[in-house]
Amino acid sequence: MSNLLSVENLTMKFGGLTAIDDLSFDAKNNQITSIIGPNGAGKTTVFNCLTGFYKPTNGQMFLHKEDNKISLRKYTDFKIAHVAKVARTFQNIRLFPAMSVLENLLVAQHNELMVASGYSLFGLLNLKTYRDKEQLAVDKAKYWLDIIGLTLRADDNAGDLPYGDQRKLEIVRAMCIEPRLLCLDEPAAGLNPKESAELNKLLKFIKTEKQTGILLIEHDMSVVMGISDHVVVLNYGKKIFEGTAEQTKNSKEVIEAYLGVDE
Amino acid sequence: MEKKDIIQSFKDSLFTGLIALALFGPIVGLRTVSKGEGLFITPQWGVVFFLVGLCILGRFLININSARRTELKIFSTLSSKFSSITEDKAKHFAITGILFAVIFPFLPFTDRYFMDVAIMILTYIMLGWGLNIVVGLAGLLDLGYVAFYAVGAYSYALIATTFGWSFWICLPLAGVFAAFFGILLGFPVLRLRGDYLAIVTLGFGEIIRIILINWYEVTNGPDGITGIPRPSFFGLPFKRSPDEGETSFHLFFNLEYSTMHRIIFLYYLILVLALITNYFTLKIRKLPVGRAWEALREDEIACKSLGVNPTNTKLTAFAIGAMFGGFAGSFFATRQAFISPESFTFIESAIIVAIVVLGGMGSQTGVVLASIFLIGITEMFRDLEQFRMIAFGGAMVLIMVFKPKGILANRKPTILMHGDKK
Repeated sequence: MSNLLSVENLTMKFGGLTAIDDLSFDAKNNQITSIIGPNGAGKTTVFNCLTGFYKPTNGQMFLHKEDNKISLRKYTDFKIAHVAKVARTFQNIRLFPAMSVLENLLVAQHNELMVASGYSLFGLLNLKTYRDKEQLAVDKAKYWLDIIGLTLRADDNAGDLPYGDQRKLEIVRAMCIEPRLLCLDEPAAGLNPKESAELNKLLKFIKTEKQTGILLIEHDMSVVMGISDHVVVLNYGKKIFEGTAEQTKNSKEVIEAYLGVDE
Repeated sequence: MEKKDIIQSFKDSLFTGLIALALFGPIVGLRTVSKGEGLFITPQWGVVFFLVGLCILGRFLININSARRTELKIFSTLSSKFSSITEDKAKHFAITGILFAVIFPFLPFTDRYFMDVAIMILTYIMLGWGLNIVVGLAGLLDLGYVAFYAVGAYSYALIATTFGWSFWICLPLAGVFAAFFGILLGFPVLRLRGDYLAIVTLGFGEIIRIILINWYEVTNGPDGITGIPRPSFFGLPFKRSPDEGETSFHLFFNLEYSTMHRIIFLYYLILVLALITNYFTLKIRKLPVGRAWEALREDEIACKSLGVNPTNTKLTAFAIGAMFGGFAGSFFATRQAFISPESFTFIESAIIVAIVVLGGMGSQTGVVLASIFLIGITEMFRDLEQFRMIAFGGAMVLIMVFKPKGILANRKPTILMHGDKK
């Protein structure tokens, strides 16, 4: 299977603190790659570098597109999502709580709709071309809402949804930008076992049906072990292990990192 | 209610009285009167004791009311009923309102004074609707909105007096200038949010005013600009005796000359301008850019993660909001025929922000109600001179106590998947 993302010698320093230290790993197409590690290992920092929220001190990140390599360093904040098509979700859910579920999904399609509305001109004139495009966007939103079972609540405020539904909504909202790489920051945090099982199903669906590579930060081992094709383990900003879920479970280094060294 | 509570609230009320005494004592108690050879202080302790007593009593009643939480909630039920009525019948309300506004000049009790107040209220409604784009939708607290009002008024005045162009050419130009200034202000404040943004915009408003005062060669400084051309009715001026080769409005329509013609025309002009602002806002709210404004208000980081360009989105909000401020400004200039920096002080910005916030952020109908309430009340108490500002403050306090989120704080989604359920 071909590489989707290569991270090469990524280093991120905050003053004297090295949050990520010379990290290299690959993520493949149509695979779920998990990044795990104890608290403060630098997992979210890796995400923030990938998605343009931080500018790494050193190192390169490449997204492979057919035979081209595009460097993610070239793009900053909103362009990562817009141009490079890397989408992300957040550890603490960041929906637009006072807007409806449907509106949340339409904001994710902002750039296409903006062009369709002729930068608001066609929209103000209420031209048919724009109305058709808008209908397509609504259909796409409906497609995703059907998958997560929230179609009936499309017109309710996103902030009024139960916690588990908000998590799922944030993931499908990210999917609405049609990403090549989807980065999920602890999607199972705060979910009950039934909800995490549903989450696993959703992620597997995205992986197989949507041909999207997924990068996952997670503490919930039932999620990590259940769906990961590949696991990268971080501790103090360094990669200490890389392998399949099964290998990770039995790795001495990983157990030591989580539970400490036997005296 | 227990005895202990009563004693507690009584103590609290006395303490309130003490604060009131400290405030009213020097402010109201010592009155300066000029008599012949200088100023003399005349104490008026009676008024002070009356006001302090009023404060104590009021505080005591509020305390008792909040202690008996369940029994005396007349106001909140009243206000919730009020908002549910207007929400259900928002459309009817809007249509009735517009119809009333259209026939208003021809109602029997409408006189010159009412028309002036109505024009003023409509100007503030338009400013409120313009600012609603920036504050209500995009969530950027702009305390210097009056700057764009000033830019619009001065652009109109300068263009009209220098080149002698007609109102209908100068109006869009003034809007363009104001929008340009909106972008100019937008750039440096892009990174700021909340309080910091408010402070910088406040500074911007003052900068514009100070430039207007000091740039004597262009703006004529504190003397202002006089002789700004009045608008004409599509080329027909409102004059008793038109110049050679001109036909004036009353001659063309064979009417008796009356100064009211111009007032009524101005009234309809601002009504149309305000309705255009409203229509535009309602339309653009449902377009991608409007949704992006609201999304930006909700969560800027999430917006970036979805590929929404926050810079452009904010700048369009500033520019469009400023443009409507500029339109209102040119209307103000043509109505007054005289403008000076005096008219564009911070208090104007504060009133417009108050209208938007008290109306309920983002609510178009709320802006109308808040304008009528705030400006109307202040006008009603005009005879009381300096006490009208107390009425203004009191109106604000009342809204904040009973409707902390604004008079109408219900947001309707911009697009529905399942249609209207009602």
